[in-house]
Amino acid sequence: MSDLIQGLRNLHVLVVLPREQSADDLIQQVNRIGCQVDHSWPLPKTFQEKYDLVFLDVTDQNSEKLNQFINSSSKKQTIVAVVGYENPSMLELIFDIKAHSVLNKPIRASGVMTSMLLGQKIQSERFQFRKDLKALKDKLENVQKVNDAKFILMRHRKINDREAYALIRKQAMAKRTNTADISQAIINAESILSDFGDT
Amino acid sequence: MGNWKIGLLFSETGVTSIIEKSQLNGALLAIDQINENGGVLGHKIEPVRYDPGSVDQKYGELSEKLITEHKVKIIFGCYTSSSRKEVLPIIERRNALFFYPTLYEGFEYSSNVIYGGACPNQNSVPLGNYLMENYGKRLFFVGSDYIYPRESNRVMRNVVRQAGGEVLGEVYFDLEAKEIDFAAVTKEINRLKPDAIFSTVVGQSCIEFYKAYLAASGDGTTCPIASLTTNEGEIAAIGPEASAGHITAAPYFRSIESSANQKFLEAYAKKFGTTVDVTSGCETAYSQVHIFARALEETGEIDTDKLREALLGTSYDAPQGQIKIDPDNNHTYLQSRIAKVDAYGEFIIQSQVRRAIKPDPYLVFPTIYDLSFRSLDVAGGVRLDE
Repeated sequence: MSDLIQGLRNLHVLVVLPREQSADDLIQQVNRIGCQVDHSWPLPKTFQEKYDLVFLDVTDQNSEKLNQFINSSSKKQTIVAVVGYENPSMLELIFDIKAHSVLNKPIRASGVMTSMLLGQKIQSERFQFRKDLKALKDKLENVQKVNDAKFILMRHRKINDREAYALIRKQAMAKRTNTADISQAIINAESILSDFGDT
Repeated sequence: MGNWKIGLLFSETGVTSIIEKSQLNGALLAIDQINENGGVLGHKIEPVRYDPGSVDQKYGELSEKLITEHKVKIIFGCYTSSSRKEVLPIIERRNALFFYPTLYEGFEYSSNVIYGGACPNQNSVPLGNYLMENYGKRLFFVGSDYIYPRESNRVMRNVVRQAGGEVLGEVYFDLEAKEIDFAAVTKEINRLKPDAIFSTVVGQSCIEFYKAYLAASGDGTTCPIASLTTNEGEIAAIGPEASAGHITAAPYFRSIESSANQKFLEAYAKKFGTTVDVTSGCETAYSQVHIFARALEETGEIDTDKLREALLGTSYDAPQGQIKIDPDNNHTYLQSRIAKVDAYGEFIIQSQVRRAIKPDPYLVFPTIYDLSFRSLDVAGGVRLDE
């Protein structure tokens, strides 16, 4: 968390709000906090990668257009939704665009820094969770593959579990690849051979 | 049309009364001066005074009372951050204008507040630099237990770390702490032998702490207590023996030699009979009332939005030197000085930053390498004979 606070001043912030009192108040407060800030309205076509965080006015917008804007950047960026009222369709919109934090209009100076840091925290955690989840899924798939390949070898060669695994590893090392790839190859070969019907 | 009514919310009783009475006097002096000169646009300024007794909650209640019962829209007051945080929502809701004449830890902005005291980039950074250059890099932190000391120590810890220094300990005490309560920490200080002590102990317990340090044979000339809040008022109460050698960083000291300060001190002595309790908080309250009166002269009416417009960007020749209200954040460009207490209990200025420093209330981690925060030695110190 202290890393986020420490990095606060390095943030490059985009404010996407119609130019009215709230936009002015928000821009001034972000300036006071010491961040670089740009303003853009109406909603730009693309979300430039130089920005780390965007305050996005979602009042009277649709999720399709907003998501198009958000997804136009491949970088991980923090989305703070700025809302004028909190009815169910507005809330649904906030969920739709996967906002990391929310700020209410009219803007008060106190609360802006919290929404920025909270958004950053949620965004970075969500990013990390997604990465961890993908790594876990991949790992699980690989374990499953190696297991399947081991059973094939055990059946064909009349060897035990440990010997089967040793074989797969030896092949992986010889071919400079990993056990998952070798296992996949064994599974493929097995399926081709069984299609010949001569097992 | 009657008088211009303004509210004054300073504690004349309780643990922070020493400093707040000094701030109150500063405000009263300025009001006197303005009224003697015919007031503002022919009408006198009329203070409505309340004593919150150093109780945080009372500041909130009394500011509400000032606004609703006395129809006051302008309030000067508060010393501790916790008391300011009580007043803040009330003046915002009622769109009143609040002048806060005290240094604080930053991280705040309200369009309804004019901040007159130093924030960390204007005092912590120059002080940290000075201590490590002149005494050494091993520091010990002692503070009162509330918002300001904790935040102030966070900043100072970072300044120390950047210079390759070390914080040997960090201890907090109740605002009501007595001399005896500090016995354990002075013992610990004696054992660890730091190069300097950074103190954020405020109010009555500040006096108790300096006395406890002397009682434990702590010596200001070898290992000083450095503070941002211990000023002339406290030093007078601590006495010369227990305060000699200790250091404070502030925008203003009574011993500044300048005609503006000379005039201020003379007027103060004439009204209150002494200048013993003239502090930087007192000078700030004094200047803020004058700045307000000048803005009022421009607007001709007490209207928060119009007054704010007139105040932002305005500069004023204060006793400390020229100051200016920063239109970006309602805080004030201030002088930065470091002074050491001499054998007679007077602050002698050791070094100062050449020009008023721009306030930066949201500076998360001030960098000590920023040259604009470096103070320069003052040749021979400055002493004003009273």
